[in-house]
Amino acid sequence: MNLFRGIVRRPWRTAAEAAALLIAAVVAFPLYWMVLSAFKPAGEIESTTPRPWTPAPTLDSFRRVFGQQEFGRYFVNSLVVACTVVVVSALIAFLAATAVTRFRFRFRTTLLIMFLVAQMVPVEALTIPLFFLMRDFGQLNTLGSLILPHIAFSLPFAIWMLRGFVKAVPEALEEAAYIDGASRARFLWQILFPLVFPGLVATSVFSFISAWNDFLFAKSFIISDASQSTLPMALLVFYKPEEPDWGGVMAASTVMTIPVLVFFVLVQRRLVSGLGGAVKD
Amino acid sequence: MPWLYLAPALVVIGGLLVYPVYQLGLISFLEYTQAQVSGGEPTSFQGFGNYARLFGDEQFWQVLLATVLFAAACVVSTLAAGCALAVLLTRVRAVPRLALMLAALGAWATPAVTGSTVWLLLFDPDFGPVNRILGLGDHSWTYGRFSAFFLVLLEVVWCSFPFVMVTVYAGIRAVPTEVLEAAALDGASQWRIWRSVLAPMLRPILVIVTIQSVIWDFKVFTQIYVMTNGGGIAGQNLVLNVYAYQQAFASSQYSLGSAIGVVMLLILLAVTLVYLRLLRRQGEEL
Amino acid sequence: MKLSVRLAAVAAVLVTAACAPQTSGNSTSGKDEQSGTLRVWLFQEVNNKPKEQVVQSVVDSFEKAHEGTEVTVEYIPVETRAQRIKAAFNDPASAPDVIEYGNTDTAGYVKDGGLEDVTKDFTSWSEAKDTDPTAKQSVTVDGKIYGAPYFVGVRALYYRTDVFDQLGLDVPKSQAELIETAQRIRAAEPDLYGLVVGGAYTYGAMPFIWANGGELATGKGGSYAAAIDTPDAQKGITAYTSLFGDDNCPAAKCAGMTGNDTITAFASGKAGMAIGGDFSHQAVEAGAVKGKYAVVPLPGVEPGSIAPAFAGGNNIGVLKSTAHRTLAVDLMKRLASKQTQGELFDAMGFLPTFTDVRGQVAEREPFVKPFVQTLAADTKFVPASPAWAQIDSSLVLPTMFQEIVSGKKGVAAAAGDAAQKMDDAFGSAG
Repeated sequence: MNLFRGIVRRPWRTAAEAAALLIAAVVAFPLYWMVLSAFKPAGEIESTTPRPWTPAPTLDSFRRVFGQQEFGRYFVNSLVVACTVVVVSALIAFLAATAVTRFRFRFRTTLLIMFLVAQMVPVEALTIPLFFLMRDFGQLNTLGSLILPHIAFSLPFAIWMLRGFVKAVPEALEEAAYIDGASRARFLWQILFPLVFPGLVATSVFSFISAWNDFLFAKSFIISDASQSTLPMALLVFYKPEEPDWGGVMAASTVMTIPVLVFFVLVQRRLVSGLGGAVKD
Repeated sequence: MPWLYLAPALVVIGGLLVYPVYQLGLISFLEYTQAQVSGGEPTSFQGFGNYARLFGDEQFWQVLLATVLFAAACVVSTLAAGCALAVLLTRVRAVPRLALMLAALGAWATPAVTGSTVWLLLFDPDFGPVNRILGLGDHSWTYGRFSAFFLVLLEVVWCSFPFVMVTVYAGIRAVPTEVLEAAALDGASQWRIWRSVLAPMLRPILVIVTIQSVIWDFKVFTQIYVMTNGGGIAGQNLVLNVYAYQQAFASSQYSLGSAIGVVMLLILLAVTLVYLRLLRRQGEEL
Repeated sequence: MKLSVRLAAVAAVLVTAACAPQTSGNSTSGKDEQSGTLRVWLFQEVNNKPKEQVVQSVVDSFEKAHEGTEVTVEYIPVETRAQRIKAAFNDPASAPDVIEYGNTDTAGYVKDGGLEDVTKDFTSWSEAKDTDPTAKQSVTVDGKIYGAPYFVGVRALYYRTDVFDQLGLDVPKSQAELIETAQRIRAAEPDLYGLVVGGAYTYGAMPFIWANGGELATGKGGSYAAAIDTPDAQKGITAYTSLFGDDNCPAAKCAGMTGNDTITAFASGKAGMAIGGDFSHQAVEAGAVKGKYAVVPLPGVEPGSIAPAFAGGNNIGVLKSTAHRTLAVDLMKRLASKQTQGELFDAMGFLPTFTDVRGQVAEREPFVKPFVQTLAADTKFVPASPAWAQIDSSLVLPTMFQEIVSGKKGVAAAAGDAAQKMDDAFGSAG
């Protein structure tokens, strides 16, 4: 569905679509180069005659990636961490965003700003206190030590983001729902929740990617149990100082990027299907 | 009532963000290196010693200035690109929209180390295709201070505009259609629709996108570290986070690193507060 | 002043209160159990399978020799070693008993209180007498030994045989000839770097400093003093930085290069010569110059001499927190034994740290000869001070080289600044 259908004149739309495709191609070019490099045989990635194709594509780099100890396990772990973070932080953020939008109370602004504060310091500085916190919770070497901090770090953005969406839902709708005899819980989950869904999609993409790509927590908190490790660790293997394996890096990154695109294609339908229109009902 | 809704968020954020930040502040007043952490040596109180050492370092001030300017350039470019493309997405049909969305998502999803490596390969004077396409011969992008910063800026915009684009696009989708139709029927230009209709409705989203971009770009690490090989020729491309890493975290000097962290926190907090104050002066309630 | 005093008082109260940042308790376990599970961390190589096989056979024979023991080996990515090993020091419950570690990290780990002193065990070990002196130096801090050398890595001069034949060049015998040869290659083949060098390639630059009689730092034990600004060291710096220029390796491209960048350039056929390690062999073989290159020791100042090289490599150590000290030391010896090192060479190409074993493998594999010759001539090591981690990570030496080759500072000024920064680090790290 086009938001401006009937408004945008045809030549303009054609120009806009051409521009969109061109920009998509430029943006995708580094990605293409990444995938291409993953298929190039060793030694061709850095050749003095760079070619946008490869005469002898090979799966060697992918074999080195998949040949790693417990690669499948890493993959599942990453998926568990990212999905848990997405679901839990979305729910918590939805409640909190409703609170800061629908109610006025003291310290509201202070609270909102405080939510952001921790993101302002270098994460390396926080890993030491977090390390001891995780140790005292007995979470070291478990996926919990990755899930908990990621929920905490994705919440501020999610709350701020959903605030905007909750705010856009007219107060009148809430009053109407109560007049119809809906309970507070019913309004919250059956009326408000679907309305802010585009916002939830955007926040979930955000929290999914940041949890999925995290290196620092994984290498700081998963110390002695390789079976609890995540995918980025399988990528780091190829970054050996002095003798990095670029083919392996590119192949591992390709493997890591695909699930994110799948996740996005799954959720983007909800983003694009235009729940915005539902507000008017 | 609001506190009931807020409770889960407060517990998580209080425990896992605020408490560590409090510890960070504490550590910045101590002598706290790996030897103290693992119990090899006792911790000792340093007062403002770590801060004095930091502020006494002439390089710190240069790096701070470079960081502020570089971050500002990144934020402006990212926001401009992200917003423009979000609007563009609303003007096109499904296929080009999906193409652009997927490309952007791919850029966003690429791990930062890989993204930086690929960009470096693309712009390599000996092995990269970009110089061939542009006919630049063996021009080195990372030798000059500004050209190195520019190259990093391109990569930063590449991997962070998708966040802005998707978020703003989601915001536009949530704006009731008839509001836009009414504006268009009134004969308002595209720019006016954005300026007077969309932007005010998207204000809360734009605010958070801006603040997040400021926070991230001020803290940019991986791109500089990888693309300029740890801060460029003779440290000309150092930014604060890389500086903190090299001076402190890499050699486990947590107290000095925490002091740098506190300084960064205060700067970002000041920027955020000023920004929010400006918004409020425009009559915008948070 | 008043304010800071008050703040200080507040902070002091907070520190003494229960909310002080945490530390781990004393990390020695005090136990020495004779059975149970031993945990080992080794570095994960890109092609790890052959290493796993060698290690597995060591583990099997160890478990057979000690009844009731079990060994679990975990392979950790080298990139994550800093966080992992620090975390192990912080949480003895997760810590392994035996680790592999990079030899430039030794002094730092000792200062962190993580490594067990194994001086007695090492000196009474029958095989230890054949350990090469530099390798032994790399496990020694303050006269005490904190592990067993596992393998060494060393650099030598790679050169293009086809280019040399075509231009009628001889293999350089001295540093002056090396520089001259590099310039002749560049003059004849403007597309090639003569000798590809990097402003961030510290280990490639060190031989130039050492060959001219300079040192990075002098001193013993805890107290080091920078020596990078002495006249001899400056001579070496001048020689190395003279290679950056349009007549060999243009500063615009070479100032930012790392060791790996220079090898990449050589492997892809962009350079007549390069300084590369025995570990760079595979990358060069995979490149365009396969079959068109040879390796010789990097020449020193005197004709016919070999420049002292940096002896990199890894060690095997025992963690202080182990509850199985005797067993862990035995496992360390087995992992670093002559037999294992010989097998590791065949499997992975790691150069043995025992001079006799190294001699044997050089017979079998002619490729390693120049590297073994280099090791036999003279090798040196970075200062055994915890400050080295700080000096290394804050890029003191690359900054110095880059300041010189980009024309920002003269040799004396840049070396003086670097010496100042090194002394600051030595001072603060104690």
